[in-house]
Amino acid sequence: MIDGFRRKLAPLRILTDEQIEVVHSGALSTLRETGVRVEHEASLKLMKDNGCEVDFGKRIVRFSSGLVEECLRRCPSSFRLRARDSEKDVIFGGDVTYFKNSVGQMTVDLDSLEPRVPTEKEFLDALKVLDALENVHVLGPYTPYFGHEGVPPVMSIPSTCAAKLKYSGKAQLEGVQKGSEVFCIKMAKAVGSEILGLMNAPSPLTWGSDVVEAAYRFAEADFPVQVASGAVMGGTAPATIAGALVLTTSEILAGIALVQLRSRKPVKVLPGTFSFPMEMRSGLPAFGDIGVSLYQIAFNQIWRGYGLPVYNSASGYCSSKGIDFQAGYEKAIACLLSALSGANLITFHGSVSAELTFHPVQAVLEDDVAGMIGRLVEGIEVDDETLALDLIKKVGPIPGSYIGEAHTRKWWRREQYLPKAADRLSYPEWKEKAKKTCVDYAKERVEKILATHAPKSLAPDLEREVNEILEEARRYYEEKGLV
Amino acid sequence: MSRRIYTKIRVKRSKLVDGMTGSDILGSLKRAVAEYDADATEVWARKAVEEGVDPIRAADILSEAIKEIGDGFGRGVLFIPDLIGGAEAMKSAMRVLEGEIKRRNVRRENLGTVVAGTVYGDIHDIGKTLVCTLLTAAGFAVYDLGVDVPAEVFVKAVKEYKPDVLAMSALLTTTAPELRKVIDALRSGGLRSRVKVIVGGAPISDGFAREIGADGYSSTAVGATELVLRLLGKKGES
Repeated sequence: MIDGFRRKLAPLRILTDEQIEVVHSGALSTLRETGVRVEHEASLKLMKDNGCEVDFGKRIVRFSSGLVEECLRRCPSSFRLRARDSEKDVIFGGDVTYFKNSVGQMTVDLDSLEPRVPTEKEFLDALKVLDALENVHVLGPYTPYFGHEGVPPVMSIPSTCAAKLKYSGKAQLEGVQKGSEVFCIKMAKAVGSEILGLMNAPSPLTWGSDVVEAAYRFAEADFPVQVASGAVMGGTAPATIAGALVLTTSEILAGIALVQLRSRKPVKVLPGTFSFPMEMRSGLPAFGDIGVSLYQIAFNQIWRGYGLPVYNSASGYCSSKGIDFQAGYEKAIACLLSALSGANLITFHGSVSAELTFHPVQAVLEDDVAGMIGRLVEGIEVDDETLALDLIKKVGPIPGSYIGEAHTRKWWRREQYLPKAADRLSYPEWKEKAKKTCVDYAKERVEKILATHAPKSLAPDLEREVNEILEEARRYYEEKGLV
Repeated sequence: MSRRIYTKIRVKRSKLVDGMTGSDILGSLKRAVAEYDADATEVWARKAVEEGVDPIRAADILSEAIKEIGDGFGRGVLFIPDLIGGAEAMKSAMRVLEGEIKRRNVRRENLGTVVAGTVYGDIHDIGKTLVCTLLTAAGFAVYDLGVDVPAEVFVKAVKEYKPDVLAMSALLTTTAPELRKVIDALRSGGLRSRVKVIVGGAPISDGFAREIGADGYSSTAVGATELVLRLLGKKGES
């Protein structure tokens, strides 16, 4: 199993118990009275058979509170996500925090800040960097890019899924598009790993047919399912944080009811959030807005209260177009607050300019920030040795010093977090070393990783099998006229 | 409770109307758009019709009001919710006025006709609605076909409304190819040369627009209006 960060602080709370109660009862009454539109035909009958009130014409399902709460109880409070390399397995739940990368449709030229489709080599290099970074515990969907030169859009998910399985042993999430889950599940099974499948609600209060079908397939394979809402505050959700919480809680509870009622075995569920306020000039996501964190802190509190692990995804994106101060504060603040409020999985590394671009240099910089956040949530150890009373007595007042003490040598490295790509030189040294910035150091680290890192390779017969499944996907989409 | 207060306001408003002149009514209509009040615009539009106010003049007042909101958006002091709110307020009055315009069998001058929609398989609404609102504000007659519009529906609308411009939106890499499908369908239906086609949406670029045979592309809603004016050779008239 891979080490995440064990949070030793009480999680940050932003809502009172009464406020949580009214959000919860608001969600239950929304599910009971307004209901949710379920566009998956077979599920309508399934819900009817389970006692829901179903309007087959409008495809609206109204859920009783008892049924919703029963389905919630079926979700295990923690579960393992098996990686291709068992040393990289993760267990979601309790007080452990993991980080995963964010994604970009394209790469970005760091001088001109122009986005462009990456070459296959750039795609694989970026993947290699993510495999090497110690604080990327899990690989995201569509990672690191939505594809690369020569990959038709409809093949982007099977193709990136295959690349992740071939060139990294880490656990992974995967999205769905036009039945891609069939091939991803097959590939993961072939190499003995699992996939955390995405089930994302197109808000407001709707579950689309494709994602529901895909979630059923993931559950059937006994893979865990991330049930999330990406409601946009002010667009597809109320502009208020409280209203958005009621809406998304309703959507996720309905999603959980669908997967749990369909499956004979309890389904492993990771509730997630990809909600953010709308940027009211452009209609684009207002990534980096403090509303993202206000919402996520409350979301984490509510879902921890339900006894389930939680996943925060909007924290990993910024509105800034380049690797700069704005990108740094937008993502660092959001990820720090996600960790402090008890998220078990946090999206972070690599994206620049919302979801438009990804760059491995950004991922390297953010690996340091993730390490710092991780160090923070691990808290302060207080015992006889760390209190150091004997040592304080021994060193005494000036001219006493701690610098040469064995206690210092033993402890300073544990107490500090040593960033790998930050400038901490004295001014004269900095001037001598060509005034290098953290970005220069990060570029050097990327080069070093590419020259030296060797991902744990996949056995040749398994790689062949993955390639065959990928070919099968291509033929399938070709026959459908989509390639 | 809020419903009761609301009814009171309406009663108060209709009382105010007694003895009002046509220009008072039009002033109230314009103010109701500026207040994003779709119920009030409908009430004032009905009142205008009842009092025999020229429906073309009333429609022009609505356009003026929406243009002011569009200008505020352009200056960065108003935002998308204001634009959409203004558009909704205008629409509810227009539904009333259009009936009267038809009844009187008169014609409203406009800069041209635009048919717009989001392509099949794509339910992204906001960008397309913004473009429609700003085009309306600029003085175009706009037919918004909504979202998830199949190619054949676009083709049918082009035949029916005979627009100067067809504006299409796609926000997903997987739905962007639909744009080409529609353009191809227009071509095979012999309609392509009759209409300018413009495209937009997150995955679209200038290069992509050219490649699929569109006449223009804009990355913003404000830019889309400028593009339409330019394509129709109407720059400066807005």
